[in-house]
Amino acid sequence: MTDTPAYDMVTMNIIDSSMVSICREMGIVLMKTSYSTIFNEGLDFTCALTDTKGNMIAVAEFCPAQIGGMPLLIKTCAQEIPLATLDEGDVIIHNDPYRGGLHVPEHTLFKPFYVDGELMGFCVAIGHIAEVGGMVPGGFAGEATEIFHEGFRIPPVKIRKRNKDVPEVWKLWLANVRTPRHNHGDLRAMIGALDTGEKRIAELVKKYGKAVFRKTCDDLMDYAERRMRSEIAAFPDGHYDFEDWVENDGIEDKPYRLYVKVHVQGDEMVVDFTGSAPQAKGPINATLGVAWSSTYNAVFHLTDPTIPKNSGCFRPVRVLAAPGTVANVDYPAPEVAGNTETHPRLAGIVIGALSKCLPERAMAAESGTGGNFVFGGQHPEHDEYYACYDLMSGGWGGRSYADGNDAVIAINGNCRFIPTEVFETRFPFVVENFALLPDSAGAGKFRGGLGFQKTLRARGAEITASQCTDRHRVKTWALFGGGEGRNGATLFQQQGRNDWRTTVETYGKRSSSKFSNIMLRNGDRVRLEVSGGGGYGEPKARERKMIEEDVREGYVTRDAARRLYGLATGGDD
Amino acid sequence: MAGLLVGIDVGGTFTDFVSYDPKTRAVDVWKNLTTPKDPNEGIVSGLGRVKTPGDIGNIRLGTTIATNAILERKGAVVAYITTEGFKDVPFIQRGNRRSHYDITWIKPKPLVKRRHCYEVRERILASGEVLTPLDPETVRAAAKAIKADGTIEAVAVNLLFAYVSPEHEREVKKILEAELPGMPVSISYDVLPKWKEYERASTTLADAYVKPIVSRYATTLKQRLKDKGITDHVVLIKSNGGEMTLDAAANAPIQMTVSGPTGGVIAAKHLAKLCGVNHLVTLDMGGTSTDCATVINGRENFTTDFEIEFGVPIQIPMIDIRTIGAGGGSLAWIDKGGMLRVGPQSAGASPGPACYKMGGTEATVTDANVALGRISPINFLGGAMTLDAAAAKTAVEAVAKKLGRTADEIALAMIRIANNNMVGALRSVLIERGLDPRDFALLAFGGAGPLHINDLMDDAGIPSGIVPNHPGQFSAFGFIMTDARVDTQRTVQMTSKRFDQARASEVMKALVDSGIAELAAQGYVKNVEVHRSVELRYLGQNYELEVPIPFDRFDATTTPKVWELFHQMHLARFGFNIPREIIEAITLKATVVSLTEKPAIANVAKGTGAKPVSSRKVVFANGALDTPVYDRAKLGEGDAMTGPAVIEEPASVTILNPGRKLKVDAYGNLLIGKLAGE
Repeated sequence: MTDTPAYDMVTMNIIDSSMVSICREMGIVLMKTSYSTIFNEGLDFTCALTDTKGNMIAVAEFCPAQIGGMPLLIKTCAQEIPLATLDEGDVIIHNDPYRGGLHVPEHTLFKPFYVDGELMGFCVAIGHIAEVGGMVPGGFAGEATEIFHEGFRIPPVKIRKRNKDVPEVWKLWLANVRTPRHNHGDLRAMIGALDTGEKRIAELVKKYGKAVFRKTCDDLMDYAERRMRSEIAAFPDGHYDFEDWVENDGIEDKPYRLYVKVHVQGDEMVVDFTGSAPQAKGPINATLGVAWSSTYNAVFHLTDPTIPKNSGCFRPVRVLAAPGTVANVDYPAPEVAGNTETHPRLAGIVIGALSKCLPERAMAAESGTGGNFVFGGQHPEHDEYYACYDLMSGGWGGRSYADGNDAVIAINGNCRFIPTEVFETRFPFVVENFALLPDSAGAGKFRGGLGFQKTLRARGAEITASQCTDRHRVKTWALFGGGEGRNGATLFQQQGRNDWRTTVETYGKRSSSKFSNIMLRNGDRVRLEVSGGGGYGEPKARERKMIEEDVREGYVTRDAARRLYGLATGGDD
Repeated sequence: MAGLLVGIDVGGTFTDFVSYDPKTRAVDVWKNLTTPKDPNEGIVSGLGRVKTPGDIGNIRLGTTIATNAILERKGAVVAYITTEGFKDVPFIQRGNRRSHYDITWIKPKPLVKRRHCYEVRERILASGEVLTPLDPETVRAAAKAIKADGTIEAVAVNLLFAYVSPEHEREVKKILEAELPGMPVSISYDVLPKWKEYERASTTLADAYVKPIVSRYATTLKQRLKDKGITDHVVLIKSNGGEMTLDAAANAPIQMTVSGPTGGVIAAKHLAKLCGVNHLVTLDMGGTSTDCATVINGRENFTTDFEIEFGVPIQIPMIDIRTIGAGGGSLAWIDKGGMLRVGPQSAGASPGPACYKMGGTEATVTDANVALGRISPINFLGGAMTLDAAAAKTAVEAVAKKLGRTADEIALAMIRIANNNMVGALRSVLIERGLDPRDFALLAFGGAGPLHINDLMDDAGIPSGIVPNHPGQFSAFGFIMTDARVDTQRTVQMTSKRFDQARASEVMKALVDSGIAELAAQGYVKNVEVHRSVELRYLGQNYELEVPIPFDRFDATTTPKVWELFHQMHLARFGFNIPREIIEAITLKATVVSLTEKPAIANVAKGTGAKPVSSRKVVFANGALDTPVYDRAKLGEGDAMTGPAVIEEPASVTILNPGRKLKVDAYGNLLIGKLAGE
């Protein structure tokens, strides 16, 4: 057969799907063998393959937050560890946000893969490790003011050389985290995933030959670029802007503006975050990797989901984020919540800006938080230190054709909630409820999705808890005349009291949504609520039968139906 | 075994029948159109082929009635009763979405309306300790509301930590039975005594959801057969490949969610034994989908991770069958970037492939096979249907023109891409589980499987292939070989540091006893086999490996062997292990099987040398070749050939690539590659 395009496209199709399946297999190893609930139940990780330049050539669908920054990450590492110094069987570990990373808990492990002694690319596993040292158990220090508060930083170093552990690195790292047995298990799982990927991709390259493989990867990226360009070409040219606010940074009681201007011209676009607030003292800052990731995430949501996800997709989209702002933080400011709070909110404003030219594709604001309630302590029964990252998200926004989904993880991730039966088995809490919040969604022709609530009661030993969330004051924005969603809340009821109060009232903190190290004692309760999504279109345009069904199903109370939708009477079966 | 044994597989388009006469060892196979409105009609009329209805001694039936009721959301109106504070678990689900970047995604709705969910006051903790005793008044209040509602047809009960202690659920059931006489009630402890409340809720809801339908179905079927003078000894095939009586099915209908496809795996299991093959991987390729499964050392593989659709888990133990949306009807299309793609959209049975001349004009995999000469237009379904080769060619040419290629090139490319999708399914049941394809033989069936077997062997690196007899009715064939099987399980959760051997032994005994009792209640008391296993993981992990345990008591000698075996399995499965790490035991499992008498498959006549009946031009990857065509019915034991060759039979065609060897075994199976002496 000749090397003509149609033939290439068939080989390309086959190599692409084989590589995605390799990434998925890596992810399955990681999911099935990891220890942290945020990995194995939360699926907060990504497995990918890159070429030798760090271009992502394939990725499996686990957590999308991590992919946009990957090229930056690998390029940064290559500056410090030249490719020539790598050997077959080496594994590099890295988590430094100031070297291309997203935030300290996100650990990236790379393993180069070789065919006949020649470097062909890297297997990559990126995952959120629940406990990373620093000032709070669980990584999310709501009151951090420096990167050093947020956990143990690892510049790119080899944790394995020629398939053997480098014991010094392991010792140093495991001595600086609170749950070394778990962290050890998580890293073993990530290394297991890389080993699997390395074996499989080498087989694939051998099957097709190095030249065909390299050429196909290049073609594959060109192909994805071509598809992305044709999507953008269909967007009306113009300049579209949008803004949203992060309510505070945990340190100072003032809101921070997130602003974007999207310039669409022909088959390219520039996404410019200039105009966003100067960087905060607290941990809400985004790194440049986050600004990239959030932009690509938004663009992927508004374009054909069948486009292969590789670095070719990134080419027609340029991201500008001024240094020293909340969208591109300067060293050594803290930034852990930049990746869970600011990240989805940046993606949201890009979607919001593009709603002006793509109204039928856009979605009103989602809750846009990871909830990020973290806690740890000595387990009264297991005789071991534990740490947990509990993840909660609220409703999606309404769309031009459907209501927002209730209680779904923010679009920058695709994690799962921890089941109560797993949660209570692992951690000394009793979960008292797990419930949707009626009336929390923004009204509209298509309403937002509902937020939800979880109430925990501490049982036994003291628990140290922290949180980084948002939208306790800033509401989810609506589109085209819809209503805003209701705010979330974090409330406490200390043993012996009957009232529910915020951290500000209970513990004298500066923010209700971002705080570090409060102490929960036996019988203390905490209630976590995440907000509903914004509505799409005028509430009065909503079909009566949909309003009536919402009332019957208890998503909207009768009173709210009257107030928001003017539902006078009826609504009974 | 008295009388004819009949296996029936009710599919979407056709109902397949296989009968076996134990006296003459004669096997008969036939098809009848499925009658979706009343599936019993197609069964009863199909049985008309048996001249004397009284000759039928035993019927085994695989049906999609439960699956379809769930997929089409045509089940009962269900009420859900759960622990106070948790009625939204089925609605909140797990928070993840079907795929990234799909902003149009709509979260799946559970099988219950929120207004039909009720909470009762009670709470059990992970340790089994009762934090709040069950308040019977709250159950009575729910019963009252259910009665007042008037539309509820079944109730699902799922209380937190019921897998640790079923006491509260049983009490709820007792109260409901008193307050709502005749109302079917499913409790989660009976359906799925395993942790994770959403998955258990979904499975329990599904059980209640299909209960009234399956119950009605079982009653009518019995009556219809009786009216026709046919035996009422009818059993249904469970998702675990075992059989259960109609009454048992009506009581636990969730057990039949994946009933039909299991037949092929059961048949494969017996064929492996018959042919002396240790490891088989099955490929059942039909019009719209392809199923893959494995048989390793004579045993099928099981899973409890099944989702009937995204976000709707049904986690009962079932044969692990991977299904992908690729089949003969898969359509070729060109994506926006100019890439040729095949499927997952399918022309289905209607309008069907272009060559069917039933209104389809777009190129399907079947059209590509016709265009390449692999399927004969005049000998399709034994000549019962004539295909339009010109229409197939026109359809493929339309795609070819857009890409500036010849029709042959595009037809070959379509087959390569379709094959690659199927290789993905084969990979997922082999390589992704740490199994080496080189140790396997590929067993291909379904109408389209034998067409692709040789290419798939090459692409997936599987050295041998087998095309069984009656590949088009192979699933129904499996049903005449099923055993009665009950899988029991219970979450115990203990670590290797503090492993209570006495408790584990006691739970295991209870599981085995309940399995034996359940079979005995259905009349299965002979040839009983017991298999025990435990699901283990390192403390902190969240997924388990199932470790078989060849003893019935945990003690100082046996228990350490279990831990050691787990370390070994972890290494084999994931490529690493963590020596000296604490191990956590999660679920104890016992399987009880009552072996039934198996049909003895007759030998075929000795061959006299394979002689082609005709020849035609067939296009292979390296070009068009004049290819001899053989009639499978005329092949005998020992007949052999070297490709290129085409072997035709009424419901299927086998393609042998140039240079590959094929041999007919004593039972008439076609062996390809290594098994044929390559």
